[in-house]
Amino acid sequence: MSSYIELKNISQSFQLNESTVTLFNDLNLSIFQGESYAITGPSGAGKSSLLMLISGLEKPTAGQVAYVKAEQRKTLDFLRADIGFIFQQFHLLPELTALNNVALPLKLRGDKQAINKALVWLDKVGLSQRKNHKPSELSGGEQQRVAIARALVFEPNFIFADEPTGNLDQKSATEIADILFACCQENNSGLVVVTHSAVLAQRAQHTFLLADGSLMDCSMAEAHNKQESNEMFRV
Amino acid sequence: MLTNNIKLAWHFYKQEYHHAHQRLLRWTQGVLLLFIVTLSQSSESIQNYLDKNLQGLLGADAVLSQQQTLSSAQFSKVSSLTNNVVMTQQIKATLTHNGQWQQAKIKAVDKQYPLQGELLTSRKLQGPSQQTLGGPALGEIWLDARLFASLSLNIGDQLLVANSLFLVSRVLQHEPDRLMEGHSVDMRAMINILDMKALGFSSDLINYRYLIAASTKQINSLIRWQQKNLPAAQIQHKQGDHPLALFWQRTENFIGLASIILFFMAAIAIEQLTQVHMKKDQYFTAICMSLGASSFAGIQVSCFKWIINLVLLLPVVILLSTGFHWLIVSWLNSAFVDLLWQWNYRPILKSIGAVVVLFAVFHTPVWFSLHGCAVTKLFNGENKGLSHWFTKISSIFVLSGVAITYSDNGLLTLMMVVAITTTIVLMILMSWITLTLGEKFTQNFSGLVPFTLFMMKQRIVSKSTQIIGVGLCTFLLLFTLMLLKDLGSTMASYQRQHDGNVMVSQATVPQLAFIENLAKQQGVTIRQAKPYMHAKLVAVNKQALAEFSQKPSESLATFARAIRLHWNESMPENNKLVDGHYWQGKEQPDSQNWQQISVEQEVMTDLGLVIGDSLTFVIDQQSFTFAISASHAFKPGAGSITFWVQMPTAALTHIQAPRYSMASLELAPQQWRLLAELWQKFPTLRMISLTEMTAIFDSILAMITQLISGFSFIIISLTCVVILASINALESKEKKKNSIIMSFGFSRSTCFRLNVIEWLVTASIAAMGAIVGTYLAGLLIYQSQFSLTYKADFIWLIATLFIILLLVTALGVYASRNNLRSSVRQLMSET
Repeated sequence: MSSYIELKNISQSFQLNESTVTLFNDLNLSIFQGESYAITGPSGAGKSSLLMLISGLEKPTAGQVAYVKAEQRKTLDFLRADIGFIFQQFHLLPELTALNNVALPLKLRGDKQAINKALVWLDKVGLSQRKNHKPSELSGGEQQRVAIARALVFEPNFIFADEPTGNLDQKSATEIADILFACCQENNSGLVVVTHSAVLAQRAQHTFLLADGSLMDCSMAEAHNKQESNEMFRV
Repeated sequence: MLTNNIKLAWHFYKQEYHHAHQRLLRWTQGVLLLFIVTLSQSSESIQNYLDKNLQGLLGADAVLSQQQTLSSAQFSKVSSLTNNVVMTQQIKATLTHNGQWQQAKIKAVDKQYPLQGELLTSRKLQGPSQQTLGGPALGEIWLDARLFASLSLNIGDQLLVANSLFLVSRVLQHEPDRLMEGHSVDMRAMINILDMKALGFSSDLINYRYLIAASTKQINSLIRWQQKNLPAAQIQHKQGDHPLALFWQRTENFIGLASIILFFMAAIAIEQLTQVHMKKDQYFTAICMSLGASSFAGIQVSCFKWIINLVLLLPVVILLSTGFHWLIVSWLNSAFVDLLWQWNYRPILKSIGAVVVLFAVFHTPVWFSLHGCAVTKLFNGENKGLSHWFTKISSIFVLSGVAITYSDNGLLTLMMVVAITTTIVLMILMSWITLTLGEKFTQNFSGLVPFTLFMMKQRIVSKSTQIIGVGLCTFLLLFTLMLLKDLGSTMASYQRQHDGNVMVSQATVPQLAFIENLAKQQGVTIRQAKPYMHAKLVAVNKQALAEFSQKPSESLATFARAIRLHWNESMPENNKLVDGHYWQGKEQPDSQNWQQISVEQEVMTDLGLVIGDSLTFVIDQQSFTFAISASHAFKPGAGSITFWVQMPTAALTHIQAPRYSMASLELAPQQWRLLAELWQKFPTLRMISLTEMTAIFDSILAMITQLISGFSFIIISLTCVVILASINALESKEKKKNSIIMSFGFSRSTCFRLNVIEWLVTASIAAMGAIVGTYLAGLLIYQSQFSLTYKADFIWLIATLFIILLLVTALGVYASRNNLRSSVRQLMSET
């Protein structure tokens, strides 16, 4: 039974110099396990804040949030153990080898098979040959692959990726996107990507645009456009 | 350009003022500067005081002293060379009254005394002092107030000295030539010089002192004459060093040596902080360079910022050191009466200058890392490579410089350095072994402890630096405290065990024979008895002692006086051979092969002597040259009477000189009355009971306790700074680690628990390293420096282990609470 995250009528605002700045109002969104989502929008629109709300690491100023797992409604605090993050800056620990970076979340959970599982995941992202290399000895693309393996190795239900290709060239970005979507699919993890890249956003099953305090579902419009162009072709 | 850079530096200084790395740097520099400035201020005050004393209170322009009287020819010569000469005689003897006894220094003077200055006496114990011309009349004795009290005497009482009765007629308040005799706490008495003759003491027990009035020119010719004709005699004069000045200089050197420990800790703290400073300044320089400025501008701003920090710190340091200086002067007033607090500008400037140069050397790696680097490299904050090694090498260089400058006792310095190095190596090994084995054995267990060990093992380089920093500070603190605690108790118990409860430090041949006879009759146990004669070292390898070494040291200070020269046929049981042959040639040296000598290992090191060197001694006015054929060291377990210099028994056939013995006795409580009998018969017998010894020792210990307590306070402050600096150095890494852990779905409380476990492991390794290091240092230093077997109190050590564990963990966890203020959002915002 797949689980999902539900955000109902949520608003987020903060105080700045005695005035209230509202990032978004009355926003509704559901994130299902096994599906992929892309959130785009201009800088400062509140994409990262929305990601923090979805992941349950921050609380909204208004609205309801819930994590539904095995048909049971829970608060987002229960989501914590089921999530993984991927960052634009990779954030690998520099003293650890690629293998140990990947094994880190499993070790923390006391998994006795941590190293073996990490090896499997390094193989999946195509880096089994570089398992003993430290982050400084890897390229940006390779570091991001290690980060993907690290986020997925403990098989979380949801993955949150903040600009995962923002620091990479086009070729590496395509490779990373391929791996990210494929791995999440294989793992049946829900994937939420915050990005400026239209190319990356297009690969998600659901695309949202966050602008002027509201969230617009672009996947519907996109599907509609796609249908229209197909009909025109037929004509 | 320069003005702009200064303005920029001021701006950045203000901006970083409350940042942890600047605050910790200020603390480190402040504590060290405070210590050094206060030390130099206090020592300058004491030196000034001693100089002033020397001018007004010596009682003579020069004093010639030796164990023999001058022959009439020699006396005529001295008189012709100078303006006036007055002879005094001194002897240490025990005075008895109504069954009470007290050892005192008796001075015999004539009507010409004092030569210069004022002799002050009084008619009553608490009465006003009067200037007195000439010494006591025949049959009279004057005593100082302490002697009055200890013998329960009154003016008009009769006092028995060597079977002669003396009338106690005055209280001795002040003798002008007393300071010339050095720092002594002996009780004092004065008699007429003709009475001294009548008492018939053996002449070799008397010290003959000639007070001389002379001009500087005359003193110089007197010194030339003395060096040629009386090399074993001692001359003290107004132009020379005050005996107390030498004593103080050695005390100062000891404190200086101890300050190496503080410099070492400051070096660790600054080294840790340098990593943060390097990153900050590199980032700023990179921005400057990307805007078209040269790296030189970055270095200039960094230098100005460092200078501004110090310049603003100095007024605070000077103000505080003035307060501490005043407190120290008040405290020392009991030992140095009329010592006044005063400003000493030169030593302040000199010590501040020296410490600032040292700080600059410690900080050089930061400037070095900014020089000639590319923008990208600086943005990335690469600080390894050349500048990294430069930090280590410059720290070692500076510390060696401080050690060489201050070292008074070569062997002690070497042992301290060996102990510190061993502790460092030990802690590196312990860190590596504990973390490797810990990680390996806990691999199959789940939980936070295995994870912590795994993480620590992965970050072993940065972790072991932190462990060494904390451990070394703990070791130095523990060693200082242990020294304080153990010195008293171990020494007292050891002496009771091996040396009996009465120590005879000088007994003539008839005195020893009497003691042996008495012991046989009364059933007193004589634990040890060893013979010796007085010998004054005058030359080393035919070079006069004064020219041979100018550097004050424990050994040289002792060789300024006559030492005890022991003889034997084979190695004493409480000695072991360190180098050479004891004795060379045959099994026993024959009459032709007697000019060999064995010198104690520490003395060899202190004076830089080697086997084969020659030493010339004057023994009873005759000169003898010996070759060093062996070096020996103290071996515990067979009594503590040992000698620095020993010769073969065969030498006795060639040397005619008075012979004495040192001995130790064990007296039962009912036998204590025998001491009064002994002293009455032999007032010059130098004997001390253990209770008196421990009383002297306790008073010394009380002074050391105060000194060490103050010193420990500074060490504790610096230990805290080092721990904080090591946390500050790793703060950004730790924050990132915590954020990453939270991104795996863990809460902040998990990070807190991990932090507590990590500090427990760090503190355990550091505490174990420090305790083993302290134990090793105890074994090394106690034995060689205090001739004691170090007996570690394991209960105390284990208790200390837990206290350190608790305190370091608490401080570490508290100080690293900032590291927990991290979040996943921070990782996101880093673009």
